[in-house]
Amino acid sequence: MSDKRNTVWSFFSSVKLTVSLLIVIAFTSILGTVIPQQEAVDTFVDRLSPGMVSVLRKLQLFDIYHSAWFMMLLFLLAINLIVCSADRWPVSWKRFRGISAPDKEEVLEDLPPGQLIHSEGAFHEEASRVEGVLKKLYGRVRRKDTESEILFIGEKGNASYLGVYLIHLSILVILAGMIIGFLFGYDAHMEIPEGESTDTVMLKRGGEFKKLNFTIQCDRFSVEYYEDGTPKMYRSELSFIKNGSNLQESAVLVNHPATFEGIRFYQASYGTVSSGAALILVGKGHNQKRIIKVAEGTEFDLPGKDGKAKILRMEENFMRMGPAVKIQITSSTQNVQFWVFQNIEEIEEANPGLRKHIPIFNPGLIAPYVFSLVAFQPKHYTGLQVNYDPGVPIVISGSCFLVAGFIVVFFYAHRQVWIGITSEVGKTRISVSGKTNKDSAGLTREISRLIKEIEKTGARSE
Amino acid sequence: MINTTILSWVTYVYFTAFVLYFMRMVRGTDIWGRMASITAVVGLIAHSAGLIMRWSESYTMGIGHAPLTNFYESLIFFAWTIVLLSLIFEWRIKHKGLGVFVLPLAFLAMAFASLSPNINSRIQPLIPALQSNWLTSHVMTCFMGYAAFAIAFGLACMHFAKNFTRSVTDSQSTFLRFLPSHEGIDELIYHSVALGFVFLSLGIITGSVWAHYAWGSYWSWDPKETWSLITWLIYAAMLHSRLVRGWRGTRMAFMAIIGFAAVLFTYLGVNYLPGLHSYLQS
Ligand code: HEM
Repeated sequence: MSDKRNTVWSFFSSVKLTVSLLIVIAFTSILGTVIPQQEAVDTFVDRLSPGMVSVLRKLQLFDIYHSAWFMMLLFLLAINLIVCSADRWPVSWKRFRGISAPDKEEVLEDLPPGQLIHSEGAFHEEASRVEGVLKKLYGRVRRKDTESEILFIGEKGNASYLGVYLIHLSILVILAGMIIGFLFGYDAHMEIPEGESTDTVMLKRGGEFKKLNFTIQCDRFSVEYYEDGTPKMYRSELSFIKNGSNLQESAVLVNHPATFEGIRFYQASYGTVSSGAALILVGKGHNQKRIIKVAEGTEFDLPGKDGKAKILRMEENFMRMGPAVKIQITSSTQNVQFWVFQNIEEIEEANPGLRKHIPIFNPGLIAPYVFSLVAFQPKHYTGLQVNYDPGVPIVISGSCFLVAGFIVVFFYAHRQVWIGITSEVGKTRISVSGKTNKDSAGLTREISRLIKEIEKTGARSE
Repeated sequence: MINTTILSWVTYVYFTAFVLYFMRMVRGTDIWGRMASITAVVGLIAHSAGLIMRWSESYTMGIGHAPLTNFYESLIFFAWTIVLLSLIFEWRIKHKGLGVFVLPLAFLAMAFASLSPNINSRIQPLIPALQSNWLTSHVMTCFMGYAAFAIAFGLACMHFAKNFTRSVTDSQSTFLRFLPSHEGIDELIYHSVALGFVFLSLGIITGSVWAHYAWGSYWSWDPKETWSLITWLIYAAMLHSRLVRGWRGTRMAFMAIIGFAAVLFTYLGVNYLPGLHSYLQS
């Protein structure tokens, strides 16, 4: 490794860099909550001088979280994380594997009397008994025999050395998932009138259109209101159609999206398209009356078949006077157009003589025919938010790793217990001690438990 | 409603417990400490009862949901977790010095919830976007995290109080003897921050799941989300400074205070910025 490479490596393997990056990212994130971002920019910009605005724009301060330099910070963090982990991995791995053979024994020096057991048993019998106890309690037990002493080491919780890697790996996985979502996913919007279908969505970023490889049909849309008139629930019933066959039907409500081929559809908005369906009462004199269901463009014969009527327009709220339908009558003798209102009585009350003065509002124009609008059902469109994010499963698995890593790091500790067996005159001395990487209280409990276990199976302590 | 009456009385119980903890420190006799703990436990039991009653009352009203949905309820729950964690810490470390520094946070939250005229304590129905089990787990984990950070903050205050009294009195004052050692405080700050960090991470994760489900995007840089990330980054920096760079004592205490300031801003300050979480403005 050249010197240069060494410098770069030590730069990226330093935790000083980590802490600085974390703080810098925190600060820039604060900026983004203080300076209006994206959509909110427009109203803010008016209050600044144009020079200021262009500086802020150049620095990408109006979209900090997607700016090149924010990405750069995240990228540096990722490199830092990778290099740092690579740098420390060999040591952690060695610790995880455990000691291959016991060597130093200072752990067992100067122990308090409570950690010493004096037993009447013979040296080698005691040793095998202790080994049995240890093997029962620890997955990994190592033994070293010298002339004067037998040493045992049992360990558990070695995995706690690797938990940190799981945490850090999970951060990388989450970042990767976010990048994949950013590169390959999209946010879009679509509007489908009731009863119609479409296969095109409008992308939020760039405002371009995108064709899906299937068609979505809105079978029905409905709104329910609370008594005070605020909407309580929107519901779109959708069918997903591919290659001519209806593959899935789902209802989409607020908080209840539908998924098709990995693309998620959320209820976002709704509105009315001008056409819809209406019921019209048509009569000739008083005897021939019938109700006809019409839509925009519908043509029907007048009673008695002496002319034709055509629905030209339908409005949900025409000139703020409520639902109205424009009808054209064509017969051999005349060709007239007029509006039929649903709430004609109230309108007349508010504007007396309206019908007389404005013939086009007078459905009695072509006596003996009478028209009235019985019911009007506007046709809605549903506004759907469309999201495709292939990064989501990756982010989810990263989050799971993160939680698993926390469990390993904070709830497991590496514990190593040392037992030395030496023979004294007529007796055998068993000394018990241990080491841990963080949980000393746990180790103390563990040692006293071990001592109890050893005493129970035979020897007596002093 | 009876639950709000109980809950406003709990405020006084916590205040009493605080006074008793304080007496223990200045008088230096342990009987005060025992009385303080008993008072705090009684308060916590009443507090829990109040929460449960509120929960079941919402079911009687036909709009059943966990009492975690508006600003009032979040303050009450925040105080509850603070007292719970503080008592658990006290019991685990067998030391009663923590109450003096932590209980004020609990009763301030309670008092703010009960007395502020701008806070609506009624049980309200949920708008569609908030009707989700993820909301409950999100709020619970977040507030567990906040409470653990509040404990760390209390410990940091303890650290500085200790420094301060040592500089003005002799080292044998009872006040000092009845606080844990500096090393002990440092260790406790680390443990509570680690605990808070885990819960905050869980809170961010559950929040993202909820956002993904309700709004179609697991992360949209809404101010509240961003501030929770900022808080998370500050505590991550703090943990790394300690674990790898070996920072201890005053530096850690200082960071615990900065971190808690970020927590408070995430919780309270962000409501003055626009965003999806503005439902908390009662
Ligand atoms: C550039 C990024 C990062 C680097 C280089 C880095 C590096 C390190 C190092 C070297 C350690 C000490 C391991 C040991 O020897 O015990 C550590 C511990 C830790 N890191 Fe990071 N880290 C980074 C980012 C993060 C982030 C973003 C988190 C957030 C979850 C995190 C969470 C932790 C935790 C919780 C520990 C403590 C583990 C323990 O208690 O032993 N790290 N990190």
